[in-house]
Amino acid sequence: MTIEPGVRPLLSTRAVAKSFGNVIALRSVELDVAPGEIHALLGANGAGKSTLVKILSGVYQADAGDVEVEGESVRLSTPAAAVAAGLATVFQDPALIPDLTVGQNLRLTGIDEGEVRVWLERMDGASLDFGALIRELPLPLLRLLDLARALALEPSLLMLDEITAALPADQAEHVFTVMEEWRSRGNSVLFITHRLGEVMRMCDRATVLRDGRTVASVAPQEVGESGLVEAMLGEVVHGEPGAVRTARAGVGQVLLEAVDIGSGDKVNGVSFRLHAGEVLGLAALEGQGQDRLFEVLAGDRRPDRGEILVKGASLRARSPYDAVARGVVLVPPDRLLALLPQRSVRENLGLPLYDRIRRWFSVARDEKEKVADAIDRLSIDTRAARQAGRLSGGNQQKVVLGRWLTAGFQVLLCFDPTRGIDVRTKAQIYGLIRELAADGAAVLLYTSELAEIPLVCDRVQVLYRGSIVDEQPAESATEESLLTAAHGIRSEEVA
Amino acid sequence: MTAETAGRSTRFDWSTWLRRRGWTAGVWLLLLLMILWYSALIPKFGGFQIASISKNSLPLVYLAIGQAVIVIAGGIDLSVGAMLILSNSIAAQLMFEQPFGVTLAIAVLVILIGAVINGVVGWIITVSRVPDIVVTLATSFSLSGVALLVLPSPGGGTSEGFRAMFTGSTTGSGSNFWPSLVAIAIPMALAAWWMKNTRTGLSLYATGSSPTAAYLSGVRTARAKIVSYAVGGGFSALAGLSALAITGSGESRAATGSLFTLRSVAAIVLGGVALTGGIGSVVGAAAAGIILFTLSPILSAMGIDPNSAQVVQGVLIVVVMMVAGIIELRRQRAG
Repeated sequence: MTIEPGVRPLLSTRAVAKSFGNVIALRSVELDVAPGEIHALLGANGAGKSTLVKILSGVYQADAGDVEVEGESVRLSTPAAAVAAGLATVFQDPALIPDLTVGQNLRLTGIDEGEVRVWLERMDGASLDFGALIRELPLPLLRLLDLARALALEPSLLMLDEITAALPADQAEHVFTVMEEWRSRGNSVLFITHRLGEVMRMCDRATVLRDGRTVASVAPQEVGESGLVEAMLGEVVHGEPGAVRTARAGVGQVLLEAVDIGSGDKVNGVSFRLHAGEVLGLAALEGQGQDRLFEVLAGDRRPDRGEILVKGASLRARSPYDAVARGVVLVPPDRLLALLPQRSVRENLGLPLYDRIRRWFSVARDEKEKVADAIDRLSIDTRAARQAGRLSGGNQQKVVLGRWLTAGFQVLLCFDPTRGIDVRTKAQIYGLIRELAADGAAVLLYTSELAEIPLVCDRVQVLYRGSIVDEQPAESATEESLLTAAHGIRSEEVA
Repeated sequence: MTAETAGRSTRFDWSTWLRRRGWTAGVWLLLLLMILWYSALIPKFGGFQIASISKNSLPLVYLAIGQAVIVIAGGIDLSVGAMLILSNSIAAQLMFEQPFGVTLAIAVLVILIGAVINGVVGWIITVSRVPDIVVTLATSFSLSGVALLVLPSPGGGTSEGFRAMFTGSTTGSGSNFWPSLVAIAIPMALAAWWMKNTRTGLSLYATGSSPTAAYLSGVRTARAKIVSYAVGGGFSALAGLSALAITGSGESRAATGSLFTLRSVAAIVLGGVALTGGIGSVVGAAAAGIILFTLSPILSAMGIDPNSAQVVQGVLIVVVMMVAGIIELRRQRAG
C-alpha cells in the first residue's frame, strides 16, 4: 500500500544507499511518510534501520540516493541541518551530556526550557529538577527528557529509535499519548521498535527493511503481526522462540545457591537455588533491585548480608575474576560495555581464555579452534569481524554469549539478553540457552519481556522491591500472572 | 515511579553542593590553610608576602586556566609553556622602552597572536584527526624555536606601568597586593562565567563530556574544540605577559617552557579537572596553580632544601587524587 494519490509525502527517500568499508548497510531504501501519520520502520537486526535514521538525522551522509522533505530535495550534512529541515530524532542512546545539568543541556542547544517543561508535565515528569546532573538521573527519565527536547524543536517529523525498549510500561503509555497528540497536530512520527504489538496498536503504516532494502510498505492492521514478521524475515517462521526448547533434562545438583543476600536498600534478603540443567527466570518491573542482584551474583560487588554458595562452597568474590574462576559468568545488560569494540570478534571471543592459554606459548591453535567453534554454534555474522563494535546489536550479544562458550562455565547469569534484538536472533539466543541448560549448565535469566519467560524458563521467580515475592512454574505462568506478581500483588488477593 | 524519585529539591541541598563543587571548594580551602600555615611559619607576614605569592603565581594560574579550558573540551595542550615563552619573547622585544599605552596595545596584540596560533593548532587537530597530544607536542618544539629566533638571548623589557598593572609596583616588587589579586580574579571569573553560562562555553563541556551525544544534539563539536584551543592560547600568551611584568625582561629558554607545561597539567589535575574531559572548573584549576607555587616558599620557610619541593609537589598531587578516589569509591558503595 502506498500513500493515497494526491497527498504529497512529508518525507521521502529515493534509492538511498550507504556502505561502511565493504559492509553494505543500505542497498536501496524507499520510504514515504505522509503528513499526519505514525509510520513504523521495521526490520530484523542489521536490516539497516539505525543507519537510515542516522542518515535522516544528519549523522551519516548517504553514498547515493535522494532525501526529499515536502517535495524539496534536502542535504542533511549535520544534525543541525536535519533539525532545520524539520526532522528531530530521539536516538537509541539519549543524546544528553552526562556532565551537564538538565538546564545546561537545554541551553546548550538553544531550546526553550518552558516548552520542555510543558511536554514533560504531559509525560508525568513534571517533578524533574532542571538543576540535576544528567548522569545522576535514571535512564527512563532521560528518554522522556530527550523526547520532550525533540518535541520542543517542533519538528514536522519526529523520529523515535527504539524509545520504548528501556521504558517501563507506564512510561511507554505516556510516549504513546504524546505520539498521538503529535499526529493530531498534523505532524508525523517515524517509530522504530521491535515490539510488534506496539506497531499494531499505534501505527498507520509500516515500511519494512530487509538486508538494506525496502521490501514492503503496508498497513499493519491489514497484514497482521504475522504478515509483518514474514516481511521482516523473508520466510514464514513457524512457532515461537520457545519451540526450540528441547526435552528437559532432569534437574541436577544445586550449582548456585543464594542465601538471604542483601545489598544496600536495593536487595533485601534474596534466596534461591539454581540447579544444573535448569533455566530459572527472574521477572521484575524496572528498578526492583535486579541490577544490583546481578552485580552481587557476578562478583562485581560484595553483598552486605547473606552468602553465595557455588556447589555448596561459599563464594566470597573480590572481583568478577573470582566468580569466573568458579564458573559463574555474566552476560551484562549493556553489551557494548562487555565488548572490546575496537578489537576483532576473535579477540573478543578469546578474551576469557587469555589468562589460561597465553601462559604457555602454544596458544594460537587451541584458541582458534574454540573461537571458530563458537562462531559456528552461534551463527555470528562475521562480515564486520575486524571490529566488534561494528556488528549489529544481535551479533554483538552473540559474541558476548559466545565468549563464555569458549571459556566454559557452570552458571550463566543473563541480564536481559534480548533487549532490542529481532525475532530470529532472539530465537537463536533462547535456543542456545536451552541447549546450554541441557548440557548441564544452570542459567539465571532476567528479561524485561515477560511474555518470553514461559517460553524459555523452567520456573520463574518474581522480584519486587528487592525481595522474591512469588514463584511460579513456567508452564502455567502467563504475562498477566507475572505482571500481577511483579506489581507486588499476591495472586490470592486477585483471585 | 522513577520520574518521581528523581530529585525535585529546589531548596539548597548540601550533599548535592558538595558533590558538584566539593573539589573546587576543597582546593581553595587547602590553599587558605597553606597560606595560614605559611603565615605562622615566618616571623612577619604581611602585604609583601601576599603580593609575592599572588603575583609570582600569575603565570601558572593563567596557564592552568587555559589548560583547564582545553582539557574540559576533551583536548590537552603540551605547548602552553612554549606559548608562554614565545609571547614573553615577542612582548619583551616589542615593548622595550615603549610608553604604557603602546605596551598595552602590544599586550592585546600578543594575546590575539596566541589565540590565533593555538586556534590553528586546534583546527589542525580536528581536521587531521591526529591525537591532540602529538600535535601539541610538535607545536611546542616549533614555538620554542620561534621564541629563540625572536629573542636569542635574555633581554628586552616593558613599561613601568605595565609591570605595575600585574604586580602592583613599577619595579615588580612591593607590598601592594591588590593589582595581582585582581589580575587573578578577573580573568578567572570571566572564564568561569563564560564556560558555565554561554552556549559556546557549555559546548566545550559537552564536547569533552560526550562528543557523540554533543554531536547528535546539534553541537558543532569541531568548532568547540577550535574555540577551546584559541582561548587556551590566549591565556598562555597572557601568562607570558605576566611573566614579563614580574621579571621586567624577556626569556626564551625552552626548558622553562617545558617545566611550565608540566606544572599546568599538574595544576588542573589537582584542581579537579578530569583528563578525560567534561568535568571540572577553571576556578579549581586556578587555585591549584597558586597552591603549586606556594609550596616552595612554605618549604623554604620550614628550612627544607628547595630541591625537595619537587618531591613534595608530586606527593601532594598523588595524595589528593587518592583521597578523592577513596571518597568517590565510598560514595559509590553507599549508593
